[in-house]
Amino acid sequence: MKPARMTIALALMLLPATLAAQDQLPDVERQLVARGAPVEWAQSVAEIVAAARADGLPTGPLVSKALEGWAKRGRVPPDRVLAVLNQLMGRFGTARDLAVGTGLDDPPGSLVAAAAEGLGRGMTPENVRDVIAAAPTPEAAATGMTVAGSLAAQGLDVAAAVRAVRDDFRNGRSAAELLELPSGMAALIGQGMHPRDIAQQIVRGGGFPGRGSGARPKGVPPTKGPTDIPTKARGRRRGNN
Amino acid sequence: MIDGSHISPDVHRLLDGEPGGSPEDRAAADRFQTALDTYGAALRLPGRDVDIAVMTAVRRRRGRARSGMFWRWLVQPQAVQLRPAMAAAAIIAALAVGIVVRQATLGGSPGVGSETPVMLVRFELAAPRAQTVSLAGSFNDWSAGEEDMVKSPATGLWTITVPLPSGEHQYMFVVDGEQWVPDPNAHAQVDDGFGQSNSVIVVGPRGVVRS
Repeated sequence: MKPARMTIALALMLLPATLAAQDQLPDVERQLVARGAPVEWAQSVAEIVAAARADGLPTGPLVSKALEGWAKRGRVPPDRVLAVLNQLMGRFGTARDLAVGTGLDDPPGSLVAAAAEGLGRGMTPENVRDVIAAAPTPEAAATGMTVAGSLAAQGLDVAAAVRAVRDDFRNGRSAAELLELPSGMAALIGQGMHPRDIAQQIVRGGGFPGRGSGARPKGVPPTKGPTDIPTKARGRRRGNN
Repeated sequence: MIDGSHISPDVHRLLDGEPGGSPEDRAAADRFQTALDTYGAALRLPGRDVDIAVMTAVRRRRGRARSGMFWRWLVQPQAVQLRPAMAAAAIIAALAVGIVVRQATLGGSPGVGSETPVMLVRFELAAPRAQTVSLAGSFNDWSAGEEDMVKSPATGLWTITVPLPSGEHQYMFVVDGEQWVPDPNAHAQVDDGFGQSNSVIVVGPRGVVRS
C-alpha cells in the first residue's frame, strides 16, 4: 500500500475511536446546557458521570437520568437530580460488587445497570445472583434481570419473577425470548388473571402460564393493533400484498 | 620546485619515450621522473580518509533531505488515488470501531443488546382537551417536543408510532408542554426517583402486548 493510502486508511480507522475516547463530560454538559441547564449544575452532573466512569461503572443510565431530571425540572429541583444520580451510582457499585461476587471479573455495564434497576424494584442480592447463575452469558443475565424487574413492576411476586426467568434460561430459551414475558404477563392480566395466581403457578413448578411447552399463551396475539408489528414482518406483509 | 628549463634536450627525449641517450642522461631522466612522481603525490588529495568523511557527510545530508521530503510530502497537497469501494469499506470499518468503543465507554442500556431488532410500537393517549401531546422517554433522551403525537378529531385520541429496539423503555406523555402524564396502557409504572412514576414498556422480538 502506498504511504498516502496507508496514512488515510489509518486516519480513518483512528478518527472515530479518538472521538469516542474523548471525554464524555463535555458531551453531557453540552447536552444539558443546550437544553437551558445552568452551567454549574451541568458541570456537577458531569463530575458525577466522571466519577462513575473512573470507578468502571456504566455512565449511559446516569446521563439518561440527568436528562430526564432536567426535562422534568418543573417538578424536580436540580439538587434532587444530583442526589438521585449519586444514589444511582451507589446502587451501580452494589450491583457491580454482586456481579463480581458471582465470579464475573468484569461484568458488562448493561448487567450492572440492569441489576441496579432490579435492586431498586425489590430484588434481593440473592435474586440477582440467581439470575446471573442461570443465564448462559453476562449479557443474557442483563436481559433476564430487566425482565425479572419488569415482571415485578407488573405486580408479580419478585421470587416468582426470578423463578420465571431462571426456568426460561434452564429450558434453553434465548434472552430475546425472555423479553416476551412482560407482554405475556400483560395479556394474562388482560384476560383477568391475577398476578398472585400467576406467581403461584410459577412457584409450584408449573412454569409461566402458557409457556411451559414453549408455546405462546393461548389467546395471546403476537401483537396488539396493526402497528405493533416487527418491521421485518411489516415488510413481508407489504410484499405479499 | 622542479624547474624543467635546465633539463637537456636529450633528457626531454628520453622522457618522451624516445630511445637513445647516454647513461648519465637516462639517470638524470629517472631522477626527474622520480621527482615528478613525488610532486604529483604531494599535490594529490590525502587519500581514503577524506573520501570516507566526504561520503559520510553526503549520506547524512541525504538522510536529512529524505526527512525533509517526507515533511514536505506531509504538508503539501497530494494527488491521491482511491478506490471508492475501498474508501467506503474503510469508513464503515472506522465507524464500527467507533461505535464499539463508544458502547464500551457508555455501558449499554438495560436489556438492550448490540443486535436488537427494532419494532414499531404504537402509543396512544386519550386527551380530548389537550392542545399538544408528545412522547418523551429513555429512547429519545427525554426530549419533550421531539415526538409529537397526532390527534384524531373524532375520538380525541392522540397517537404516535415509533421504532423502538427490543428491551425495556421508560417514558411519559407530555401534555401541553408541561404536564407529565403516565401511560395507562403501559406494562408497568415504576418510581422515577424524583417522587413521580415512569411508564414502562418491554418490547419483545415479536412486538408488544398490552393488557
